[in-house]
Amino acid sequence: MYKLVLISKYLRRKLAPMFAALAVTLCTMMVIIVISVMGGFLDLLRASAQRLSGDVIVSAGSFTGFPYYQELIDAIDALPEAEAATPIIRSYGLLKLGDRNNPVEVEGILPEGYDRVVGYKQSLYWTTQKMLDAFDHRYEPPLDEYEQSYRDKLAEQDLVEFGMTFDPPAARKQRAGRDDLDAIVLGIEISPRNQRDEQGRYDINRSSISDDVTLTVLPLTSEGGVLDLEIKPRPFAVVNEFKSGLYDVDANRVYVRLDTLQKMLLMDAWEKLDDEGFPTGEKTQPRVTEVLVKAAPGVPLEALRRAVDGAVRKVQRRHADMPVLFTMTWEERHRTLLSAVQNEKGMVTFLFVIISVVAVVMVGTTLYMIVLEKTRDIGILRAIGASRLGIANVFLGYGLAIGIIGALIGAGLAYLIVNNLNGIQEWLAAWFGWRMWNPQTYYFDRIPDEVKTTDAVAIGIGAVISCVVGALISAFIAARQDPIEALRHE
Amino acid sequence: MSKLIASNLHRRFREGGQDLHVLRGVDLDVRDREWLAILGRSGSGKSTLLHLLGGLDRPTEGSVAFNGDDLFKLPGGKLDRYRNAHVGFVFQFYHLLPELNALENVLVSSMIGSSAFAWPGRKRAARQRAAELLGRVGLAERLRHRPNKLSGGERQRVAIARALMNAPDVLLADEPTGNLDADTSASIIELFRSLHAAGQTIVMVTHDDAVASAADRQVTLVEGRLSTSAG
Ligand SMILES: Nc1ncnc2c1ncn2[C@@H]1O[C@H](COP(=O)(O)OP(=O)(O)OP(=O)(O)O)[C@@H](O)[C@H]1O
Ligand SMILES: [Mg+2]
Repeated sequence: MYKLVLISKYLRRKLAPMFAALAVTLCTMMVIIVISVMGGFLDLLRASAQRLSGDVIVSAGSFTGFPYYQELIDAIDALPEAEAATPIIRSYGLLKLGDRNNPVEVEGILPEGYDRVVGYKQSLYWTTQKMLDAFDHRYEPPLDEYEQSYRDKLAEQDLVEFGMTFDPPAARKQRAGRDDLDAIVLGIEISPRNQRDEQGRYDINRSSISDDVTLTVLPLTSEGGVLDLEIKPRPFAVVNEFKSGLYDVDANRVYVRLDTLQKMLLMDAWEKLDDEGFPTGEKTQPRVTEVLVKAAPGVPLEALRRAVDGAVRKVQRRHADMPVLFTMTWEERHRTLLSAVQNEKGMVTFLFVIISVVAVVMVGTTLYMIVLEKTRDIGILRAIGASRLGIANVFLGYGLAIGIIGALIGAGLAYLIVNNLNGIQEWLAAWFGWRMWNPQTYYFDRIPDEVKTTDAVAIGIGAVISCVVGALISAFIAARQDPIEALRHE
Repeated sequence: MSKLIASNLHRRFREGGQDLHVLRGVDLDVRDREWLAILGRSGSGKSTLLHLLGGLDRPTEGSVAFNGDDLFKLPGGKLDRYRNAHVGFVFQFYHLLPELNALENVLVSSMIGSSAFAWPGRKRAARQRAAELLGRVGLAERLRHRPNKLSGGERQRVAIARALMNAPDVLLADEPTGNLDADTSASIIELFRSLHAAGQTIVMVTHDDAVASAADRQVTLVEGRLSTSAG
């Protein structure tokens, strides 16, 4: 019982334990903040990567792709493990935007199916609402008749719908003088005019959504040669831009309709010719380069991969001319990105280890100093009957108390800081013009501001354990002394 | 009947290559309810002897028997128990815990003797006894004062109250009047007298013949051995 009394007295009467607790507080706080923010970014990155490629990818590993994909998709759709599957063509091309030629990654998609697998619709950046907000920002009410009618016209258009149908508005077709004008959706970082402001938002007035562009792609043979000798740039109307959350993708990728890209790459169905060049009446199979599959809720990645692999084999058995197909998970596809993520996690863990060592040493030294200072008291306690274990417990309990107090305050502060990180940043920016996190430079708009309870609890427990470990040596030294030795200590 | 029996106690200190043979075969029999004074010059080993009797230090040779058991052959836990429950020690330099007030300093020996689970049940009675003891040594008004707010004599009296807290079989007091003026000394001796009258066994170290003469019996430490001196 005297142990508790002494621990509480020692805690209250001395400056040293306050410093130790402060050190623990700072260490705990720092680690929780770093882990939360860093972990938040890594999670964002992972989520974006996964969102972009579905859960499992079937690919021929070539630009010429593979036929019978509809059969494969039907087979995958029949699997209980799979929720949806969609074919895509992934290729490369040249995009002429203004007077700039950009090499881009071109994806041909079926928008509805693609949306089901990778949530394409919600990645479309421009909405009618954003357009109207920008309009209202520019024109002060009351609007005159012309302005009002213009606004009504804007409100009629559904920008997201254009990005889904890939059917440009009639006015755009008229302007281009082509009734069969196709639509294209660009990654938002492709156009150099798109700039993020300090909140990480883009300005619709500078966007590419009313631009016309041309796209050139190269149809390839399975040997890698170019199929069509007359390769012409094809005009497209930009109808929307997308933001996936992965900078590399947003700066390089464009979406067009699957059938459009199939035609451009000569991967659509066409009639075979005989040796003299006459039509044979036999048609080739349309081709794609990949099929993306989304897992049904709760199905583990590996289980889905195995099931999809089974479906692939079934289709392959039916068709001798089917090329070899590979099945991989999104983690395998993004291995380089994820291993970078993993590395950074390793770094953070290393940091954590260093900080724990600091905490252990701090608490250890503080307690050692207290033990030295309290040697006479230890002698007194032993002289009036306290056991060695009891004395050791006083100091272990002391370390424990310092750890618990420090960890609780540290976790509380970290919680407050992380949860208000974006507010704190706004405040700093408003008062000192300093932004620690600038979405103009970095790709995510917000600093992740969530503390994972499990992380916080684990770190807190780690801090408490560190303190007890730090207290061990001192407790041992304290307990070892004989009463008279301790009493003679000056 | 004997309370404590010390036989052939030797205590050497080895310090910086020098061998100091302080106790050279002390035999002592502390009888029940007696008040014994141990006299001797400064440095003669009085404190050393008292520490051995209190189980605070270990002899180089010899034994101290309590209830027939050799203290220094007891397991650690039993020796702790002996120090806590069977002897009450009053140190030459008070040795109070500076963070605790007078009442808590007295209570602490009772706390050490009881587990955290038993304590809540005993707390009330213990507090009452501690307050009573402090009242008896004339400190009823100073219960909440910490040692640094008390005078030397007051500290000594808190130390005595602490030593009495667990109703020890033997009260061991090392120069209880050593650092006090004549009046305060007299009041402490008066306190011992009343304790003695109530049946408390007391072993008191002093170098003051006048103080020693209050005791039943006087022994003197000379050259590491005890010789009986006339009271
Ligand atoms: N732990 C120790 N190490 C070395 N020498 C010691 C130790 N304890 C005591 N001594 C020596 O033993 C001798 C006796 O010391 P002790 O304290 O018992 O004397 P004392 O009779 O109580 O003296 P005083 O009247 O001054 O209190 C002294 O010379 C002291 O220096
Ligand atoms: Mg002495």
